[in-house]
Amino acid sequence: MDFAYTPEQQTLREEVRQFIAEYVTPEILAEVEESGVRSRGPKTREMYQKVADRGWIGISWPKEYGGQGGSRIDQYIVEEEFGRVGVEVGGAGSGAPAILAAGTEEQKKYFLPGLIRGEISFALGFTEPQAGADLAGLQCRAVRDGDEFVINGQKMYTTRAHSGSHIYLMARTDPEAPRHKGISIFLVPMETPGITVRPLWTIQNDPPAPRRTTYGDRRTNEVFFEDVHIPASCMLGEENTGWYVGALGLNLDRVGASRYLLSVQRDEDIINWVKENDMGGYGPSQDPAVRDRLAELWIEAQVCRLMTMRSMSLVERGGTFTYEGSAEKVWAPEHGVKTTETIAQILGAYGQLLSSSEDNIEGGVFAHNLMGAFQSGINHGSAQVMRDQVARRGLGMPRG
Amino acid sequence: MPKDPVCGKDIDESGARASTGQTAHGAAEVDPNMGTRSFHNGQWYYFCSMDCRTKFLASPNTYTG
Ligand SMILES: Cc1cc2nc3c(=O)[nH]c(=O)nc-3n(C[C@H](O)[C@H](O)[C@H](O)COP(=O)(O)OP(=O)(O)OC[C@H]3O[C@@H](n4cnc5c(N)ncnc54)[C@H](O)[C@@H]3O)c2cc1C
Repeated sequence: MDFAYTPEQQTLREEVRQFIAEYVTPEILAEVEESGVRSRGPKTREMYQKVADRGWIGISWPKEYGGQGGSRIDQYIVEEEFGRVGVEVGGAGSGAPAILAAGTEEQKKYFLPGLIRGEISFALGFTEPQAGADLAGLQCRAVRDGDEFVINGQKMYTTRAHSGSHIYLMARTDPEAPRHKGISIFLVPMETPGITVRPLWTIQNDPPAPRRTTYGDRRTNEVFFEDVHIPASCMLGEENTGWYVGALGLNLDRVGASRYLLSVQRDEDIINWVKENDMGGYGPSQDPAVRDRLAELWIEAQVCRLMTMRSMSLVERGGTFTYEGSAEKVWAPEHGVKTTETIAQILGAYGQLLSSSEDNIEGGVFAHNLMGAFQSGINHGSAQVMRDQVARRGLGMPRG
Repeated sequence: MPKDPVCGKDIDESGARASTGQTAHGAAEVDPNMGTRSFHNGQWYYFCSMDCRTKFLASPNTYTG
């Protein structure tokens, strides 16, 4: 594995930085702040279109579906640069890997270009009130009726249900089969009659988390399905193979810049703050304890970077990728919790001033990250579930 | 009018189902202050709060008789 970026990749990074300096204007940042990192307002959509026009969304996706057939590292560079200014652009977390792996030709041709243009975005409809860590206990039913399926049931903590165009839905298609074998995945348009969305506000909502908060979401949702009729062609993969399609997709969706950014951005923010600020005669950058802790955090963040690079390299070379994404999903959020705790110690009471306080520092980002760090160890697969996957897929232990 | 099976409060079912707007892509949004619900054994149960629903889900037979 070559750890250095190629000259072309360095140039790409420079181009992305220049683009950000020119087009990611204060108005766009204000809009992102207002609508939340994961929902796009009109100005952000316009800017996103420019990013897409440059061929920077879905760089590693095949050309026949609107991608560039390029490298994941290039895609990573773009995601990382945008992530640093708190703007999310496609790529990881998009649902695309599962569609590429299991979709029909028609689905690939419809969804992938739509994802690149920013017209399609998925909410992940897996968790239910009684099926979280134990996801295979899900009860939402999809019953075949000729060329259609009829869906009844509910989902919970569905983060983008209010902003996404589709829900990537896991439902039970065979209640008689063993739990993991009677499940299918459907790509359901949110506008389908019978779908109702109820907001669930999280600890990041009041006051609203600032744009550069790298952890957590302000709003998630409950989604109710009442006699929702969808064509059978909405199914992703074969009937009753949804557990495996879903697991593969989730795993591949973890490959990208977000985990490392989650790890390192908070470290960099506090390092810069400590270097530039003096809290009433207490110069923290000269304090040996502070220096020691920050150096340690930064070193740990590099472990996450290496994990990210390894994942990308494995996937790029078509190698088996089973537990590596889960390991990264344990490391980054736990490092994040440690980072925010350390930051809370260094900043003392300053670190608790939320975005609503006139006296907040850095827009309240440190305080909001302190609350949000705990969200990231739960969403997209909890730390315990991830460790269990490492035990099974990485260490060869039987299902517990 | 249905009752919350856990605390016995009257539930305004039509209020709980009434659309208060639309999501960005056309799904109906409902008012979170009107309580929540659960699809259990082929039937919707309505609750005044998530608090009551979690009690119900822990032991549905206690509340469905
Ligand atoms: C901010 C946020 C956003 C989310 N967004 C989405 C989304 O968009 N789509 C979606 O489908 N889901 C989403 N989720 C849900 C998330 O995936 C679940 O919360 C997670 O899977 C855990 O499920 P649970 O909350 O029901 O916890 P439970 O299953 O009730 O578990 C509670 C705790 O116990 C632990 N635990 C459970 N069983 C075991 C065991 N056998 N061994 C050891 N520990 C165990 C769990 O890891 C967890 O920490 C989101 C959650 C949050 C907080």
